[in-house]
Amino acid sequence: MEVTELEEKNISYQNTSLCYQCAKCSSGCPVIEEMDVYPHQVIHLASLGLEEKVLNTETIWICANCYACAVKCPNDIDITGIMNNLKQKALEKGIKPKRPDVYKFHQTFAQDILKRGKAHELRIMGEYNLRLRKPFKNVLLAPKMFLKNKLKIQPPKAVKGFRNWIKKLLKKNS
Amino acid sequence: MKNDKIALYPGCSLETSSSHYLKSIEKVFEILEIPSDSMEEWNCCGATSVKSIDQRLNLMLNLRNLALAEEQGIRDLVVPCASCYHRLVSTEYELNRDPKLRDELNKEAGFNYKGEVKVRNILDFFVNVVGLEKISSKVVKPLDGMVVACYYGCLNTRVPKPASFDTMEYPMTMDKITEALGATVIDWSYKTECCGASLFITVDSISTKLVGKILNDASLREADCITVSCPMCQTNLDTNQGKVREAFNIEKPVPSPFITQLMGLAFGCEPEEVGMDKNFEAMKPLS
Repeated sequence: MEVTELEEKNISYQNTSLCYQCAKCSSGCPVIEEMDVYPHQVIHLASLGLEEKVLNTETIWICANCYACAVKCPNDIDITGIMNNLKQKALEKGIKPKRPDVYKFHQTFAQDILKRGKAHELRIMGEYNLRLRKPFKNVLLAPKMFLKNKLKIQPPKAVKGFRNWIKKLLKKNS
Repeated sequence: MKNDKIALYPGCSLETSSSHYLKSIEKVFEILEIPSDSMEEWNCCGATSVKSIDQRLNLMLNLRNLALAEEQGIRDLVVPCASCYHRLVSTEYELNRDPKLRDELNKEAGFNYKGEVKVRNILDFFVNVVGLEKISSKVVKPLDGMVVACYYGCLNTRVPKPASFDTMEYPMTMDKITEALGATVIDWSYKTECCGASLFITVDSISTKLVGKILNDASLREADCITVSCPMCQTNLDTNQGKVREAFNIEKPVPSPFITQLMGLAFGCEPEEVGMDKNFEAMKPLS
């Protein structure tokens, strides 16, 4: 099997072959207990080109993007960046995310902010529950937040010029 | 025209769920005689979500912010939210490191960003632009006897190395500000441990565990509060604390005021003036 160009696409400047499997990334990861494959193993899979295997892990979705691994890596591999590359790659290849609960949040958030240029937190939480088909998830948070006026029913005012700009940009790329 | 203005990039959460953070920043800036205008027509940085599923779009969103800030004559773009800061400063770094990429994205997005605006974390701004002397000169009610654990979380310091303003493993900027207010800061092990960020919404069992460890360490070291500078960290430490404390057997509440709320209190503001009424876990009144 050939080594893929997984990590070399566009924005990334990573080289997973620099990894010598010291596992510092895994030992410092705060969410490792939820992962099915450890971060240093993800890097190993990626450098071996075992694409299907690595794109089908829960690990890439569970990663909290805290960058603890990236700052600990003795070879300066941006492991967090690679996790994001892998998520994006999985989506591009039409692979169903192994943690839909996490993916659906990212998707809901991204689509929401493209509407007005700013996040509408209440709508994101509601829409997320709908997509997850779990209408009561986090529902106890809402009254608490309302009580302190921390959730707004009204969406934020649309950012001037944003919608047209983003529409044009997305059209160009499609 | 040379860029010479200071402006805030507040970010989405400071306009809604963490409006008390913005309120305290505006108050503190007023006392420090710093203009607290926000840049105009900023957009969401995309946070972790956009970056997770579309990295080019993530760069575009932040390029728009940087390009507009530059057009508006801004020199220091002060960013209070750790997540916004991370996105903006990483984009700044990425685009200035790679002029070819910058030209390409500029052309595609219709901007002319040259790299003349500096993205500054609010902690960096307080310590390196405003200065600790000026901060301590405004203290009228020193926080004597208050024991504070300074919590930085992940994204304030874990930025591309050339862009960092503090050490990643054991940062001290917030500690220095807190000391300038008269409080006692403690050494502790969870300064830069992750709070779980959006896992608070998606997989709350993980975030409960992470938040529990942070509260527990601060509590064992007898901190009166954990001060933070990130709205996501503040939400996670504060909102469901009762439940977390029960799971971890932590007896006393651990309030988590924003650093700017502590500054406001030390500058003699009433608690409501810096939004303390919006924190779930209340601080003990200052004697």
